[in-house]
Amino acid sequence: MTTRALDASTQAALADFLLSMADDEFVIGYSDSEWTGIAPILEEDVAISSIAQDELGHARALYELLAGLLDDGRDADAIAYDREPEAYRHAPLLDHGRGDWADTMARRFLYDTADTARLGAIGGGWPPLAELVAKIRREERYHVMHVTLWAERLARAGGDARARFVAALEALAPDAPSVLAAPEGEAALLEAGILVRPMAATVDEWRADVARILGPLGISLALGSGAAPRPTRTTASADFRWLWGEFTSVRRSEVGATW
Amino acid sequence: MTDPLALDPILPARERSERSARPWNEELPHDERYQLFEAHVLGGGKIEPNDWMPDEYRTAVLRFVEMHANSELMGVLPEREWIMRAPTLRRKLALTSKVQDEVGHAQLLYRVAEDLGKPREAMFDDLLAGKTKFHNVFHYPTRTWADIGIIAWLVDAAAIVAQQALRDSSYGPYARTMQKICWEESVHIMHGRDVVLTLANGTPSQRAMVQEALDRWWGPLMQMHGPRSDRTKDRDLHWRIKAKTSEELRQEFLTIYVPRILEMGLTIPDPELRFDAEAGEWRYADPDWAELRAVVTNHGPKSEERLEFRRLNRAATAWVREAILAAPEAAA
Repeated sequence: MTTRALDASTQAALADFLLSMADDEFVIGYSDSEWTGIAPILEEDVAISSIAQDELGHARALYELLAGLLDDGRDADAIAYDREPEAYRHAPLLDHGRGDWADTMARRFLYDTADTARLGAIGGGWPPLAELVAKIRREERYHVMHVTLWAERLARAGGDARARFVAALEALAPDAPSVLAAPEGEAALLEAGILVRPMAATVDEWRADVARILGPLGISLALGSGAAPRPTRTTASADFRWLWGEFTSVRRSEVGATW
Repeated sequence: MTDPLALDPILPARERSERSARPWNEELPHDERYQLFEAHVLGGGKIEPNDWMPDEYRTAVLRFVEMHANSELMGVLPEREWIMRAPTLRRKLALTSKVQDEVGHAQLLYRVAEDLGKPREAMFDDLLAGKTKFHNVFHYPTRTWADIGIIAWLVDAAAIVAQQALRDSSYGPYARTMQKICWEESVHIMHGRDVVLTLANGTPSQRAMVQEALDRWWGPLMQMHGPRSDRTKDRDLHWRIKAKTSEELRQEFLTIYVPRILEMGLTIPDPELRFDAEAGEWRYADPDWAELRAVVTNHGPKSEERLEFRRLNRAATAWVREAILAAPEAAA
């Protein structure tokens, strides 16, 4: 891969940013794939499985970029699977168990809208990432359309469905801004044009987006104000530890083998 | 004999152009109509959902397609357990996609069956109440990652041998659905073969794992197509709903896959297995037909657990179906 030379601090900031994004996509892809085969409707089963595969595909592409950048002998699989649970950097929004369909749609709604805003903040400073982001954004558009439709259907159904969906949104809302917390080396990323605006501006855009969709449905969420507080991305929950135990189980059974 | 990996996804010309006169749809005395219908079917013609058809034909197609749909739906469960455990990103994506395909097949097949007059919910009711069946191989546990390879390679291969023959079924919507399904199944076989090949070329414990999986699955595989049956007494064959007998399918499977299994360095756990060149067919130890009967009547090792899992899941997600199948409240 030919990349523009990055100074050490920018490279470290970029590596951290890539790992956070990749882990976000990896973990939500895993959570969504838990529905494969058991979603509420067969037609939706096929849809959520496609979305899961998109997210895992994005995770793989991001891990590959990271592997190239770090050049430390690890490939995308080694980065994705061969870490202790504490070393994963996904946002706290994604650190919950799969939950029911309302939880899943609430998580997807908050993540997809935030991820869209995040992708929109990435500039051309590092061409390999800019090219990948262009591809990812084409797919994420459909994810937002899909989850917006679900939000409308569940909210407008009234009764139990609306109550479940609203409760799930409210339960996840405090963790949602964590997706858009400023990365460690934000100043360096802005300087290099890898980010075109600070996350504090991006998070405002996202809050407006959420209000634009949920407002007409009569739902108002408390998503904080100002810049999102930087979360501690290293305290893996019990739910995530279960997930980690599953996705590493075959791999750990014969360390170093080819699968 | 067709190699399952060399499938033609294009509809045959005859099938595309067949919209000629369908005289049995006219108002005629029943027997006359029946004869015209049968002549059309036996002559290789297709039946479409809006055509007149004898009740016996409708029932036979429905029963056949419904069991196929049930099998796709229940067949999701043994592999689904390993979606979360797939050991690399590539395997994870391939397995998720494969199981997604099976769900998609269930959806397509339930739609074919729905057009024959039985609502989807009624088919789920009957499946979960044990009134209708699903294929024997989906009543067994998946114990190791090697099972994922053996299922995708050999169970899907045994299935595709039967399914290829259904691409020419007399019931048009089923035949067309099978075109798509066979195409996707051939991709599953490649995925399964790759998993098995990787294990067979792996560490000693990986090799032992894949041989152990083959040892466990061989019996169910040999039972899968069912006992030998009398061609002349099979109504599904008569009406060309299906095209081949159980034994023809099993022989075809053995002819294609025995050499491939041996090439892989694996041992087939049947000392009697050999090709009888004189008779032109495979000889093998008699499959355990008592086991097959027990398993398909939901007395298999995982039958009840999987049905109960489906029942619980259906109950837990009922609120979603109620919400979105009802008219929206505020949107109106």
